[in-house]
Amino acid sequence: MVTVLLDSSNTNLSVGVARDNLLLDYVSYEAWQRQSEFMIVELNKLLEKHNIAKEEIKEVIVAKGPGSYTGVRIAITIAKTIAVALDAKLYAVSSLRVQKDGAVPSICVINARSGRSYVGVYQDQEIIVNDCIMKNDEVLNYLNEHPDYVLCGEAAYLGKEGKQTNNLQEMLNLKDSLESINPLSLKPVYMKD
Amino acid sequence: MEFQITTKSAEETMQLGARFVALCKPGSTFCLTGDLGAGKTTLVRGIAKALNIKSVVQSPTFNIMKVYFDGNKPLIHIDAYRLADLDTDIGLDEYIGYETGITVIEWPEFIRNLIPENAIEVNITHVKDDMRNIKIISNDKELMEGLK
Repeated sequence: MVTVLLDSSNTNLSVGVARDNLLLDYVSYEAWQRQSEFMIVELNKLLEKHNIAKEEIKEVIVAKGPGSYTGVRIAITIAKTIAVALDAKLYAVSSLRVQKDGAVPSICVINARSGRSYVGVYQDQEIIVNDCIMKNDEVLNYLNEHPDYVLCGEAAYLGKEGKQTNNLQEMLNLKDSLESINPLSLKPVYMKD
Repeated sequence: MEFQITTKSAEETMQLGARFVALCKPGSTFCLTGDLGAGKTTLVRGIAKALNIKSVVQSPTFNIMKVYFDGNKPLIHIDAYRLADLDTDIGLDEYIGYETGITVIEWPEFIRNLIPENAIEVNITHVKDDMRNIKIISNDKELMEGLK
């Protein structure tokens, strides 16, 4: 059973394939504004490299946001299409949650621009703070108040170094805690409206 | 601060675009105003040429936004004309003032709430034939001194 993993919710493009719940191979690189050009190409390369026939794809896991307006929509559109075309199960997970550092309490951030951040705080299976938008100084205050928490994600815009975790592996880890979703009802999470 | 310049040809207008590139900081946003045919797109072509962008630059009136990657830094060209009276978020805020690029916005009045405070206002008026009067308003001292 093959699982396809897709995340383009921030400036990165991440594409992975798993077989029987083991992450087989993946690519992840910065591709701001060009994720739509590369996502399908990278997926095809991975399928070819590992001799995977499309019919073997039984599951798709996608990061559903919050994050970049266009970025979130790219991975979701492709994930929905695969799920419908191949009758594969679709799972959607918070793009903040997939950045968490395993069982360590993690403050996951994505730059929401205009001095704001998307923030979610997670520990293991537990949600400490639901995904939300915070002003950057509020994030920094929260960070100071919780010195034992780990900052996760691309955090240079906060003047901090965030821990980079393997978002695709985390997606795979979270799958069992998720319900599969009807591709026609999946909507991107966009918190700015 | 305000600075005015008169250009006598399309080439001179393009040269002004090149001076903008040489003088502006990364992440700068230019707001272009002026009637149809005033020369807004000509000025953007000057900016694109100075960035070594080989693609043909046309106003993205239909597309709303075009991003050129084939130059020294990304050029983000927005035409907000079709967003008039549309109160809808299409994620343009992620591109305006993008750290490593230059953003140029035509019809900025239709997305006023997205325009950064430090945006450089450029107004072009048609004088006669190929002659244009170009007014630049900005608080960027280095840019304004450099233009003089």
